[in-house]
Amino acid sequence: MTKPRFIPFLILALLAFNLRALPQVRNKPSTPSPAITFEDITQKSGIAWVHNNAQSDARHLPETVGAGCAFIDYDNDGWMDIMFINSGSSDFFTPTTPIRNALYRNNHDGTFTDVTIKAGVSGGSFGMGVAAADYDADGFQDLYVTNYGRNTLYKNTGKGTFVDVTDKAGVAAPGWSTCAVWFDFDNDGKLDLFVSSFVYYDRSLNVLCADDQNRRYYCIPRHYKPRPSHLFRNNGDGTFTDVSAETAIADYPGKSFGAVATDVNNDGWLDLFVANDTMPNFLFINKGGKKFDEVGLAAGVAFSQAGRARSGMGVDAADYDGDGWQDLFVANIDYEFFSLYHNEKDVTFTDEPREIAAATQVLSGWGLRFFDYDNDTDPDLLLVNGHPDDFVEMHNARVKYKEPLVLFVNTGRDFKNVSQNSGAVFTRDFSGRGMATGDFDNDGDLDVLVSNNGEAPLLLRNDGGNRNNWLGLHLVPTKSNPAAVGAVITWQAGTLKRSRLKTGGGSYLSSHDPREILGIGAATKIDFLEIRWPSGKVDKLTNLPLNTYVRVVEGAGLSTLR
Amino acid sequence: MILIVMRRLLTTVCLILLAGYQPLHSKSMQTRNDLIERLENVAKLIRDDRLSDAERQLSTILRSNSKQPDALNLLGAIRAKQKRFDEAEKLFSSAVSANASLVSARMNLVQLYLIQSKPQNAISELNQVLRLQPENEEAFDRLSQLLLKEKRVDEFISLVEPVKSSRSISFSLLVSLGDAYLEKRNAVKAEENFRLALAQQSDDADAILGLAQAAHLRGDTALASSYLARAKGATVKSANTLHRFALVAFAAGRFEEANLALTEAVKLKPDEPAFYVFLGTTWLKKPDLVEAEQAFRRALELNSDDSTAQMYLGYTLMLQGKYPAARELLEKSLVKESTVPQTFYYLGLISQEEGDDQAAIQHFRKTLQLLPSYVEVHGALGRSYLNLKDYPQAKAELELAVKLNPNDTQAHYQLAVLYARLKDPQRAQEQMQIVERLKEAARAPQKPTP
Repeated sequence: MTKPRFIPFLILALLAFNLRALPQVRNKPSTPSPAITFEDITQKSGIAWVHNNAQSDARHLPETVGAGCAFIDYDNDGWMDIMFINSGSSDFFTPTTPIRNALYRNNHDGTFTDVTIKAGVSGGSFGMGVAAADYDADGFQDLYVTNYGRNTLYKNTGKGTFVDVTDKAGVAAPGWSTCAVWFDFDNDGKLDLFVSSFVYYDRSLNVLCADDQNRRYYCIPRHYKPRPSHLFRNNGDGTFTDVSAETAIADYPGKSFGAVATDVNNDGWLDLFVANDTMPNFLFINKGGKKFDEVGLAAGVAFSQAGRARSGMGVDAADYDGDGWQDLFVANIDYEFFSLYHNEKDVTFTDEPREIAAATQVLSGWGLRFFDYDNDTDPDLLLVNGHPDDFVEMHNARVKYKEPLVLFVNTGRDFKNVSQNSGAVFTRDFSGRGMATGDFDNDGDLDVLVSNNGEAPLLLRNDGGNRNNWLGLHLVPTKSNPAAVGAVITWQAGTLKRSRLKTGGGSYLSSHDPREILGIGAATKIDFLEIRWPSGKVDKLTNLPLNTYVRVVEGAGLSTLR
Repeated sequence: MILIVMRRLLTTVCLILLAGYQPLHSKSMQTRNDLIERLENVAKLIRDDRLSDAERQLSTILRSNSKQPDALNLLGAIRAKQKRFDEAEKLFSSAVSANASLVSARMNLVQLYLIQSKPQNAISELNQVLRLQPENEEAFDRLSQLLLKEKRVDEFISLVEPVKSSRSISFSLLVSLGDAYLEKRNAVKAEENFRLALAQQSDDADAILGLAQAAHLRGDTALASSYLARAKGATVKSANTLHRFALVAFAAGRFEEANLALTEAVKLKPDEPAFYVFLGTTWLKKPDLVEAEQAFRRALELNSDDSTAQMYLGYTLMLQGKYPAARELLEKSLVKESTVPQTFYYLGLISQEEGDDQAAIQHFRKTLQLLPSYVEVHGALGRSYLNLKDYPQAKAELELAVKLNPNDTQAHYQLAVLYARLKDPQRAQEQMQIVERLKEAARAPQKPTP
C-alpha cells in the first residue's frame, strides 16, 4: 500500500515546471538568434591558479605534455567544482616555490573558492591528468590523478575532504601515466580503471635533442621506448586487480595519451580507443568483458591513410551523424591532420575530417570534446591546441607554439568552423592541453574549462547555448556502474530523435561534468526519454519538464527535479 | 608597347626608303631625284607628326601614279600611326604588289603583323625578306627571335645553323641555338653552341646554365652540379636567367636554390605568370603550402585562364584539405586542358577524401585511360575498393600497385589493412614491416615534434 516516495516529488516537479519553464519556451525569439559565444571569465570567477610546467634547459619531456583539469561536484551540492593538476617534485625537478594542484569550490554565483588545502588534494608528484568518478559507489565522486611517477587515488570522504587510498586500492601504476578512464569493462556494475602509459622515461633517459646553437628542445617521443598501459578491475571492496595481462592490454606497449571508452560495435561491451604518439593508435575491442582484441589496423584508425603513425594526443567518441554508431576523433600534431573517423558499422572506419582538416592543418591538438554546445541535439566539436615545442617558431614559419581554440558546429553530416563568431577568446593563442566540458552555472548549456601548459587556465562561459530548449540529466545508476558509462540515452521531441551513448574519458588528461544535457532545439516538448542502462535495464520516461535538471534513477523509472 | 613598335616602324620606313633606288638616266634621274626629295620630305613630316601635311603631299604623288610603291608604303605608315591598321595593311600590301622586292614595305608589314599579334604572317613576310636579301641582319635577327618565341624550333635551327660559319653570330643567338638543341634533346649540339657563346662571354650565367642543362640531359649530374655552382658565381642580371637557374637547380633536386632564384626572378619580372607557377612548385617541394598557394594565386591573378596554375592551385588546396575549392579549380582547369591525367587523379583523391569512392574510381579510371603508366593510381584505386569493401578488386589493384612500385608505402599500408580485414594477420604484419622499412629509409632528419 505504501506508495513509492518518488511520486510526490515527481508531481511537484512537474508543477514547478509548468509554472516556471514553459514561458521560457514561448519566448523563443522569432528572429535569427545571435551567435552563441564563450566568454573568458577566469579572472572574474576568482580562479588565480597558474600551471607551472617546470620548464628546464634540459627540456625533460614530461614538462611539455601536462596538464589536465576536471569538472567535479565533489561536495554533491549540484554545482560543478573545478580541479586543476600541476607539476611537482620528480627526479628531474625540485620546485623552488610551493607548487600544488587546485580544487575550486563553486560558490553558485559564477565565482569559485580555492579549497585545495582543506580538501587534501594538493598533490606533490609531477601531475599529468585527472579522472573523476565515484569508484566506490558511495555517492561522492573520487579523483584519480595520473603522474609522471606514482599515480594517486583520492577517495572522497563526503565531508569536503579526500584521502589518498592508492596503496590500499593498488592503482599506483608507477612510471609515466597520462590519461585515465573510468568505465565498466566487464559490465559487473563497478567502475574499472584504464590508465594510459606513456614512454619509459627518467632523468637519465633524457635524449639530447638540440639545435645548431646547442639549445635543447623537447624530443620526439620516437626516441623513447613504449610502455604497456594498465587496466584495473574494480573488486568492489575498495581494491583493484591489475588485469592488464589477462585482458591482453599489456600485450600492446604504446606511447599513449588520450583514451575514450565507447561501444564501437554496439554489442553492449565498452571498447577503448587509445591515441598513441608516433605509434599506431589502438582500438581495443572488448570481447565479452574478458579480453580485448586490438584491431586498429584493420579498423583503419591506427595510421594515417599513408600508413604513417601520427602523433595522436586527444581523442573522443560520439555518434556525430546520428546513424546510431559511435564515430571517433583523434587530434595529431601540425601537418599530420586530425582524423574524424566515421564508423562504417562493421568495426571499420573511414577518415572524413573535411573542413576540420583545412582548419587544423598547422595545429597540434590535445583536449577535445564532442559536445552539443548549442543544444540543437547534435554533437559539435571543440579543439584545444598548442605545440609541444616552445622553439617551433624558430624553424617553422607557419607553426606557432601557442595556438587558438577552434570550435566547429555540426551541420548534420559535416562540421563548420565557427570560431570567428564565437567570442574573443577564439582570437587568442594558448599552450592548450587539457579540456573539460560542464555546466558550471547550471544554466543548461555546456561551459568549457581549459588547462594550459605553463600558464593560467581558462574558464569559458557559454552565453546563448540555452536559447534552445534542453533537459539536464543526472543519471543515478543502481545496478549499473556509478558513472553510467555505457548508458544509451534516446530522446524524441517532435520529429527530432537522437541517441547518445555516455562515454568514459575522452579529451586529454581531463574529466567532464558527469551530467548529460539533452538539447532539443526549438521544440517545446520532449515526447519521450529512454535510458538503456549498461545493466540492460531500460527506463522510459514521458511527460518531462524542460530547461531544468532532473535526476533519473536506474530501474525506478522516475525523475525528480533537483 | 604599341608606341615603341610604331616608332620602330616609322624609322624602318624612313631608313629603307632611301636605300631602295637604282641609278637612272639624267632626265629620269632628275625626276626621280625630285620624287625622292618629296618622299624624304614626307618622311620628315611623318617623323614630326605632321601627318596631314604628309598625307597631302602623298596624295599629290599618288595622283600622278596611284601605284607608286614608296608613296603607298609611306601612306601605310601614316595609317598605322593613326592606328588604322586594316588600311595600313592594304597599303603596305599594295606597295608590295607594285614592287615585290620592296623590302621596306615587307618589313613594315612584319611590324604591323606583330602589332596585330599575327606572328605566323610576320614569319612568312620575314622569310620573303630573307629570300630577297639573305644578308638582311635585321630580318634574320627578328625571324630567329620569332621562330624561337613561336617554338618553331626546327625552323629556327635550320635558319641559324647554316649561317654560323659564314657570319658572326651574336652571343644571344648562340645561347638561343643551344636552347633550341636542348629542346630537341640534342645535348651534344647544345653544348657546342653554349661553348661558342661562352667563347664570346666567358662568365655568362645563361651559357653556363645551358651547359648544366646539357650535362643533365646527358645524365651527368656531377658535371651539371659543377656548372650550377659556377653559375652561382656568375653575375645574374635578368629574370630569365634566374628562371633558367631555377630550372637547372630544380632538375638537380636543389629545390631551395630553385626557390630562391625564382623569388628573385619574380621581383625582377613580377608580371610573368609562368614564373609564379614554377615558384609555387618549388614551395610545394619545401613543403610550404601557404606560400605555394600564394604563388599559384598570383599566377592566376596575372592570367586567370592559366590551366596549369589552376591545376597546381587545386592540388595545393587539396593538400590543405580545402576540398570544395580544390575541386572547383581542378574542374576549371579541365575546361582548357581536358587530357591532363594528374587533374583527374587529384579529383579522384578529393572524391576519396570526401567519402565518394564511386566517383573516385571513375576519376582514377579516366587517369589510367590518359596515362596507363601512372602507377600511383592503382594504389588509390585499391584504397577506394577497400573503402567500398570490394576486397577482391582492392587486392588486385593494391598488389598491382606494389608490383609496379615496390616503394609505394601507401599501397603497402592499404594491403596491410586489407589482409588484416581478411583475417590474415601474418601477411598484414609483413606489409607493415615493409611500410616501416620504407619509412625508415625515407625518414628525414629529426624535426623537434612529439
